[in-house]
Amino acid sequence: MPAVGDPRHLRWCNSGEPESLDPALATTTTSLKLVYALFDGLTTHDKNGLPQPSLATSWDISDDLRRFTFHLRDDARWSNGRAIDAYDVAFQVLRVLHPSFASPNGDGIEPVKNALAFVGGRMRVMQRDVGPLRAGTIVEVATVGGTPVAELPADRPIPSSNKRPARAPLALRDLGAPASAAYAHVDVGGTVEILELTGRPSSPPSPDGQAWAYVHLNRGDGLYGWVLADELGPPPAATLGVRAVEPKRVPGLDLPSPPPAVVEAPVIEIDAGDALSLLESVGVRVPDAHTFVLETSDPTPFLISLTPGRTLRPTPREAVSRAPRRWIVPGQTVTSGPMTLVAWKERDYVELARSPSYWNQAVAKLERLTAFSMNDQSASANYYFAGGCDAVTGNNIPSSYFPMINGERTGTAYRDYTPAPYLGIYFAYVNTKKVDNVHLRRALAHAIDRTVLPKILHGGQIPTAQFSPGTPIAKLSDEDLALCGVSRDTPGVAMIMQTGVLCYVPPPGLDYDPAKAKAELALARTELGGTLPSMTYRYNTGVEGHKLIAEYLQDAWKRELGLDVGLESQEWKTFVADTRAGNYELARFGSIGNFPDTEAEFLINFRCASPDNRAQWCDPAFEQAMEDAKPLRDRAARLAKIREAEGIMLQAAPVIPLYIYTQHHLQRPYVRDLYINLPDQVPLYEAYLDPAWQAGGADR
Amino acid sequence: MLRLILSRLGSSVLVIFAVATIAFFLMRCAPGGPFDEERSLLPEVQRNIEERYHLNDPLISQYADYIGGLAKLDFGQSLKRPQTVNELIAGHYGYSLTLGLMAIAIALSLGLTMGVAAAARRNTWVDHSLMSFALLGVSIPSIVLAPLGIAAFALHLGWLPPARAEGLSSYLLPAFTMGLIYTGTIARLTRAGMLEVLGQDFVRTARAKGLSERAVVWRHAVRLGVVPVATYLGPAMASMIAGSFVIEQIFQIPGLGFYFVSSVSDRDYPVLTGMLVFYVVILVALNLVSDLAHGALDPRVREQR
Repeated sequence: MPAVGDPRHLRWCNSGEPESLDPALATTTTSLKLVYALFDGLTTHDKNGLPQPSLATSWDISDDLRRFTFHLRDDARWSNGRAIDAYDVAFQVLRVLHPSFASPNGDGIEPVKNALAFVGGRMRVMQRDVGPLRAGTIVEVATVGGTPVAELPADRPIPSSNKRPARAPLALRDLGAPASAAYAHVDVGGTVEILELTGRPSSPPSPDGQAWAYVHLNRGDGLYGWVLADELGPPPAATLGVRAVEPKRVPGLDLPSPPPAVVEAPVIEIDAGDALSLLESVGVRVPDAHTFVLETSDPTPFLISLTPGRTLRPTPREAVSRAPRRWIVPGQTVTSGPMTLVAWKERDYVELARSPSYWNQAVAKLERLTAFSMNDQSASANYYFAGGCDAVTGNNIPSSYFPMINGERTGTAYRDYTPAPYLGIYFAYVNTKKVDNVHLRRALAHAIDRTVLPKILHGGQIPTAQFSPGTPIAKLSDEDLALCGVSRDTPGVAMIMQTGVLCYVPPPGLDYDPAKAKAELALARTELGGTLPSMTYRYNTGVEGHKLIAEYLQDAWKRELGLDVGLESQEWKTFVADTRAGNYELARFGSIGNFPDTEAEFLINFRCASPDNRAQWCDPAFEQAMEDAKPLRDRAARLAKIREAEGIMLQAAPVIPLYIYTQHHLQRPYVRDLYINLPDQVPLYEAYLDPAWQAGGADR
Repeated sequence: MLRLILSRLGSSVLVIFAVATIAFFLMRCAPGGPFDEERSLLPEVQRNIEERYHLNDPLISQYADYIGGLAKLDFGQSLKRPQTVNELIAGHYGYSLTLGLMAIAIALSLGLTMGVAAAARRNTWVDHSLMSFALLGVSIPSIVLAPLGIAAFALHLGWLPPARAEGLSSYLLPAFTMGLIYTGTIARLTRAGMLEVLGQDFVRTARAKGLSERAVVWRHAVRLGVVPVATYLGPAMASMIAGSFVIEQIFQIPGLGFYFVSSVSDRDYPVLTGMLVFYVVILVALNLVSDLAHGALDPRVREQR
């Protein structure tokens, strides 16, 4: 076990093995907390877990909330010395969206114009005039051989416009490098796929006046590199039906309302090679090396909240190109953040060290960070108690330990223990297709006394009947109370969305009320003619708490309403697939937000078209309120609409909110600035150990 | 002897092929896929990822690819990790092997000693207390024993680390926990085997020759008395050195055991089939060794062949 002692070395028990440290491939907080220490972004997380300027020193937002222009600093460097520029940011977007990289993180910039169609290989940019389509027009593939794209069978992909045979031997290399510096070769006749061309609106300019192409070679894990464009042969023969993409119009902003029916442009047959699939068909522009522009199809007030995310954390093209799946190698990885990667022992630990090349040397107070990959909560807590780590990441303490450390048993909480609200909600979905009577659903919601739940779970969970999570109003600071416009005795929670600027107070939900529950049940019986649907509550195995809650709910429904609800547990993946298929009546679920914005992160699951609309609930009034909110530039007005939408949803009870998650932390008293915030987005590198305290010696 | 080994190898190939095939198709029948989570991937994104791992190919061609890879000892690419299955095995098997060998050493030395001692003092308090201890070892599951060991030796006394594989001392607790389960069985098998042998004619002859009881037991009887243990050891050793999920998980030993379970819950098809095939190879090999050992220990078996 490492000795306690070095004040610049934080030993931190992480919640398991990072699945990747590549921002294009990492998805879980286990990985991302480390990724964010290694790679800088347009913005980074401040101590509240909210965005603050980093690579981008400032940004302009257009009046219609659809164009975001970021101004990049010019003193940021990769750890190999190269300047970080706006082309690097665009390259990261390309990595996340281009099918050849198969990144799971495309949803990180879903609001960006045409991003999803690009992921699906449907976007093209005309390379020459064909009929009414001028060169440069952005088009979407509509048909292939007369069949609409949506109806194409799975084994018939959309023909590529970008595949090219090599006319001359290709030497894959960095942009502008001599052929002798190539790291891979393609023989004449071999096929590559064009991803970028120099001089285009979202790609770097040519360094020498020649046209260069950035190509993908489908070999092994894939290889990428620049080649001279004139070494590439003609495109494959195929035809596509394409249609020009009309700029999306926003009711109330661009047009007098009501908006006219959308008229789609006519489909025009072109040769596949008349167009190319390029990033410029997406709302990404790089006007110069220090300016990066994102355009969204809808007004997107929360776009800045996406910017500290993994999608906009650039990765070094020179390293990625050579080994797209394996470029993260301890000691060699080119990084851009406050720390570099020095060691990674799989399923044991990851070790980071301060990066001397980071532009903001003041921010990283640590020389070294060891993150132990503890995928077992008991082991993690035990290791902490035995002195193995200085802090345990959020939520890596087993619930069976709570009574021992939260003061329930001893009267005083364990000194190192801090619980805090978490940006997540635990709830029961009601499948509205099977339980289609709204009174029955309301009866179920009113019958549950949520205040019992923390007593069952011991984790300080915050009982709620509202859907949007947040901090209990009673615990807000005075400034936040003023910001939210509520008094301290207001029940419920509030979500601080932007420190000192924006606060969301969700509407009240259907809280515990036995009389109302019985009245609603009586209404349901009348409407249904006495026969209620039989109901089973599902939960996934492996977590004791799910079972305890299921048993409590079953008991409450029996006691308050006389309803017999069955219980059924399922293995996780089966549970996920079954509930998505609508194959259930009642099911536990949880929803955790990446950033505090209920419109983008929580209510989205109740939109009719959402793939995660497990409640199968689709209400025109709710849809209308969500749509009405979109064009509103005034964020307070917009939030009022969102609040209206949440109210509609809660009254229809497609979901029974139960409690707001809490996060549980163990930190030694000498650990400083290892922040605990609502979204649990923590700039680890800002932490340090207080040497003055440690001189005191023993710490247990 | 050579014929035995060759015919065993031949049938092993068949067994491995059958295991790989059954595992491949069974896993595909399981509901849900490797990329299904609470928050769904966008359909476009999911298609691209499945494309990369050839999960959209017809099942039969995926199967052909898989068996083709197996023939070249290539278990394929993990769907959840950047490594190939071969790399996972190479990178993590060392931990499981170290832990398993230590557990075997503990189980054998304790179990044999206890069994022989109990048989030699049959129906005395020595026998009874040893066998009660053995029964405890067999019946207390490691999910109970391990936390007790951690609470006592790591958290209370502070002698041993509670988690992680860092130096040999960190293997002591997990190896004991794992070894104790097998100690009980080995002790009981040894005792039974010894009792049977001690009643046989050649032992009486040895005693009649005037040999001391110690020499009778340790020089003549033990060799035959442990034959049941040798038979049991094949599969037992296989499960010890193949990686134990529970023990490795509780002590955070980054061995292979983890993947036996994670690959199922992740629906990481190549890892799961890879793990199963790897385990079968170990099992078949150790069964062969245990049969050979049986022959070496018991001359009667040798002569029959």
